[in-house]
Formats: sequence, C-alpha cells, structure tokens
Amino acid sequence: MSTYAVEVVYRGIFQKRLSGNICRSIVLASRMEGKIGTAFGRYGDSPERNGIPAKYFAVVADDALELEEYLAQYEPTQVDATIVVDDTLCKGVESWAWYGLQPINALTKPGGTVIVTSYQDPEQLKEDIHVKDEPYNLAIVKGSKSFSGLWVYKDDHTDVRVLGALARVVPDMVSLESYQKAILQQWKTEAKVVSSQRSHERVHISPVEPGEGNETEPYSFEMPGWQEMEEALVIPGIAQGGGFRGGEGGFEPVRSAVFKKYSTRTMRPVVNFETCTKCTLCWLQCPDSCFDVTPDGLYDANMEACCGCGVCEDVCPVPNCITMVNEEAFVDNDSQYEHWQKNRDDYMGWLEKKIALGKSERRSHGFHHVGQYQEENAMAEVGSDD
Amino acid sequence: MTTTQQLTPLRGVKQSPLEEFFTSGHRTCQGCESALVMKLMIKAAGPRTIVLGSTGCMYVANTTYYSTPWVVPWMHTQLGSSGSAALGTAAGLKALMRKAKMKDEPINVIAFCGDGGGVDMGLSAISAALTHNDYNLLILLYDNESYANTDIQVSGSSPWGANSTFSPPGTVHRIMNKRWKKNMAGMLAAGHPQVRYIATGCASYATDMMNKVRKALSIGGPTFIHTFDPCPKGWDYDPMYSHELGMLAVQTGIWVQYEVEDGKITLNGPSRLLARGRPRLPVEKYLERQGRFAHFTKEDTAYFQQQVDDMWERWWIPGVVPPGMAEE
Repeated sequence: MSTYAVEVVYRGIFQKRLSGNICRSIVLASRMEGKIGTAFGRYGDSPERNGIPAKYFAVVADDALELEEYLAQYEPTQVDATIVVDDTLCKGVESWAWYGLQPINALTKPGGTVIVTSYQDPEQLKEDIHVKDEPYNLAIVKGSKSFSGLWVYKDDHTDVRVLGALARVVPDMVSLESYQKAILQQWKTEAKVVSSQRSHERVHISPVEPGEGNETEPYSFEMPGWQEMEEALVIPGIAQGGGFRGGEGGFEPVRSAVFKKYSTRTMRPVVNFETCTKCTLCWLQCPDSCFDVTPDGLYDANMEACCGCGVCEDVCPVPNCITMVNEEAFVDNDSQYEHWQKNRDDYMGWLEKKIALGKSERRSHGFHHVGQYQEENAMAEVGSDD
Repeated sequence: MTTTQQLTPLRGVKQSPLEEFFTSGHRTCQGCESALVMKLMIKAAGPRTIVLGSTGCMYVANTTYYSTPWVVPWMHTQLGSSGSAALGTAAGLKALMRKAKMKDEPINVIAFCGDGGGVDMGLSAISAALTHNDYNLLILLYDNESYANTDIQVSGSSPWGANSTFSPPGTVHRIMNKRWKKNMAGMLAAGHPQVRYIATGCASYATDMMNKVRKALSIGGPTFIHTFDPCPKGWDYDPMYSHELGMLAVQTGIWVQYEVEDGKITLNGPSRLLARGRPRLPVEKYLERQGRFAHFTKEDTAYFQQQVDDMWERWWIPGVVPPGMAEE
C-alpha cells in the first residue's frame, strides 16, 4: 500500500500545456502498470495569468480506495517530487494575495526530490532555494525554460525529459518503461521516447543537507479572520501616494502590501540613467505602475512590483537605455536609482556586468511567428544532444 | 443636469498627472493592456471618482482574495450590469446631494466592463443607461476580444477565425469562429443619437485615450468609450509586445480610432491619416504576431484583408457606419 504525489510548479499559461502533459503522462503511465492516478490543477491558481506561479498535481495509488482516501484533503501537503520547470521559480513563489513568498521546496517531503530544468549547477540553484530542516535531493534536468503561449505549444521534449528524470528519482511510483509506453501512445514518435531515456540516464542528482540553501526569511502575511473583516466584503483601499521616498518632488505610489507580484518575473529591466531622456513612456505604459518618479524626473523601476513583462524595454525610444536581463543574474530587489545616486561609476559597472551576464538575444516568452518553434528545435538538435 | 468636473485636455505625454489611483499589486498577466487601460482611465479621471466594475479580468485579477490595487472607491457589479450600476450610482449620488446628505460636488462615475460583460451580456443595460440624459456617467468597455478571465472563450467581440477555447481549429474545420466582431461604438452612436460623447481608444496611444476619458467625463450625460486591449494570454504573443500590437491594429486599419461628439464623427490619430490616404499596413503584419491566428492559411489572411479593405473602401465612414443607402 503506497500513494505517491508529485507537484509541478510552473509559470501560468506559458507552461500550462507543459505541466498538463507531465501530469497527464504520469497518470496514463500508472494505468499501464495496473495502478490508478489522477491529475489536477490547484484551484486557487484559476484563472491563470501569464507568468504567475501555478501548480499542477499528480497522485498515483495502488487502488481506487487508496486514491480516494488520499484525495480527501484540499491538496497534497507533502510530495515525493517537486518538479520546477523554470529555475527562476527557485527564488520562491507568490501565487496570489496574502499567500506570501512560499519556498519552492515547501511541500517536498524529507528525502524527496526537487527536480529543476536548468542550465545552472546545484551550487547556484542552492543560492536561491530556501533552507529546509530536513534533507532532500536536488535533481537537475539540463535545459532552458520551455515557454509557449496558450495555443501554440513549443514541443522541445521538456515534458518527456522530466518524465525520464522522474522515473529515476521516484522509481517506485511508475517505471521508465511505463512512461515510455505512455509517451509513445500520446505522441506516436520514438524521438520523444529517446529523449526520456537520455534524460533518465543523464539527470544530475545531489543531496541537500538540512540548513543548506538560501537563508533569507521568506515574507509572509497574517490573514485576517472573518471577525476582523468588514461587513459586505469591504476591502480597505490603497492610500494615496506622495513624493519620492516620502520627500518632496517626484511621485511614489503606495502599493498593495499583500501581493508583491515579483515572483512572476523571469526577467527584469535594468535602466541606464545616464542615457535616459525622461520621455515618460516606460512609466506611463507600465501596466503594473512599477516605476517610481524621482525628483529629477527619472524613473526607478520598483523591483517588488515589477513582474518583468518587458513593455518598458519595448517602448523605450533610446537604444539600450532599458534592457531586460535574466532574473537569475540578481539576488536582491534593491533600487537601481539609489545605487546610481550613491556611486555612478559603480552602478554603470554593475549595469554592464548584469547585461553581459543575463541579457539574452532571444526572448523565450510565447509566440513570435509561425514555424519559429520548429526552427528552434531543429537548431537545438543540430547544436547539441544534451 | 448637474455640473461635471471640467478636466482639461493633456497636451502630450509630459503633462500626464503623476498620481496613480490604480497602483501595483493586481494579479493580471504580464503585459496586461487592460490593466494599463484601468491605470490611464483613472489617472485621467482623478481622485474624485467612483469606479464600478462588472465581472471580468479587471474584477477578478484586480481584487482577488481581500486585496485591491485601487486608491479610489471601487465596487464590483454583475457581469451584465455595468450600465445599471453606473446609472444607479449616478442617480444615488444626485439624490444624496439633493437631500444634502453629502457635499454637493461633481463626482465622476465610471463603470467598466469587458467585451463579455459589455458586447455580449451587458448590451441592454448599457443601452438603457445611455438613454438617461440626466445623469453623468461613463461606461468604459475594455475589449480584449474574448472571455479572457475564464481562459479565452469566444465573445461577440472576438475576431473572425481566432483560436479560442470555443473555436479550436481542427484538421477538417480550420475556421471555427465564423462571426465578425461587433461594431459596438458605432452601434451605440447610431442608436443613441442624444448621447453627447462616444469614442474608441487604445492604451498604446495613451494621451489620446486619457483625453477621451477626460472629454467623456466633462461633457456631461451618459457617455461611452470602447478601448482595444491586446491580451498576451488569449492572443498568444510575448507580453513585451502589447503596446506594439495595439499600434499595429490601428495602423493596419483593423481598429479604427474615432469619437462621436454631439453627433459629429471624427477619426483621430493614425486612423485619420489612413482615411486621408496614408497606406494601411497589411493585416498580415498584425496576424502573424499572434498564436491565435497561427493556423491561418494565405487564403484566410487574404479574406481578413478583404474584410478590412471593404471597411475602409466601401463603408460610409470606415469602422463606424457601414455601406450607405441603396442607390435609387
């Protein structure tokens, strides 16, 4: 008698099909060996939004009664494996208001495994993943984040590569053979079976000791009880903002205290204040009002509010004034403007370094043009077989 | 008619008010153009405003789980009732002021609805509200061309052929949404000739949009604005390009920017230039950027182009009034 649960933490919409494919395949494969399983998205994530962290679960049990017993809870409280399909999620996830920043390994059970698709090595990932009191394993499936939109799926085999790795880290749940049968049944191509096999062999697994990892305390909120809530669901509004950092001049809005949204970000804008022409467009066109207006008329992107959409880079008329840089290149949310004010040369050096480290020529978000994914996949096959 | 706030037009982006009344902390998608519409709308309207929102993305994403990004008072109303909520609120304010239960001052009343709430469900209530000339209110329809909140179902505003949960292209039937987008603002302008101001806008042209909101609120009586909002989730494109897609829709002539003020129709911005003969960009430039049209063949694109060409060449007024009277 045994029940296994797996969660997939993913970026809403961008990886909805990917995580659905993973969990559905787990259930199909469990059927292949006479077990029973079910897959479901977390209720609170619905409706999903682009980029906002979301979860899918797959549960596998020996028989229907066992499964029913296990599912008599809102959602799994402990999982055998946490699958993270974008490594920037390792910094913690905040999926909705009052939820706080949840460590990525929060549900991983002692001795369980966090599977991450990433090009980073375990030491780099452990800088992001919060510490846990119990030991667990970190498995890395080498690869870039696979993002696509709602309609056009980027079939770069990430789904089956994760399944291959899963057969290695939780071998008793479902065997690799069953996964491969399920893969063949769904996609009818040997290529995907081979991908799962390779990933099974190559997945890099390393143990993580208790207390090892990111030691910063993730922020959390105390939710009001029903007695503290006002009648007829009255929600306190946001206070009117004022001058930049509470002083004279500029403007800084008061922001929602209970939803910061920055864990949605996979890229962040870095601003070259020296070339800024104060045209206002980044500030005006930002859907998240994340720019603070400084007294000297510059715009400081607030990194607790920015969700990394990239509109500012697109509307900025000055070449290389705003650059979107991979979120992996950063460890804090400090103000760029304050840094620049304190030491301009140091800031410019920092800026250059971050751009060199994390600017990618090709955006990974969503659809670009017909046939693009096929072109990319063909290129990837020629380039490397890792 | 009670007086309205006299909001002066902005002359260029640099005059945009610094204050935000719709701030950070909403759970919308990355690059959500509708959230930008909310931000610009209330930036233009100012602090003495009551906002009412019917169900849709801008309700669900903005005010989930006992939290809000609104600085001004905001209230939720049902999917089809933006019109009734606006009317009721405007009438309530008027009554309270008449009875001296609150200070007599002009307060803006704005009710917004999505295309599901406005073009489909709320049309009759909007129409009703627009016949009540004694009340000052603005109904703003933010149109992302689908029921985006519930994962993209077809609405009366979805474009022909677009992929959606209700119109997935198949191998046998490729085009599943065979309906053409409703001409909402034109229909309301034709049907409510006494309404003093009806306009279309797009947040990609921010100053123009804010000025339209200001004009609608200042002119008095019931008014209506229809905004065109690229939706990275439902249209399937990189969120970075929300702004660009809005501009492309206007430059290809798919979306026409105009206002109907006291019965007089004026095309503005790029739409005005297109009407004067500036060449329209091919619709392909717009369609090829979106995953919802990824299944289009050359013939589909040509058909789409034909419809847009017809609108510009055969309509009485492009995007507003369809082909004119039968020839005698």
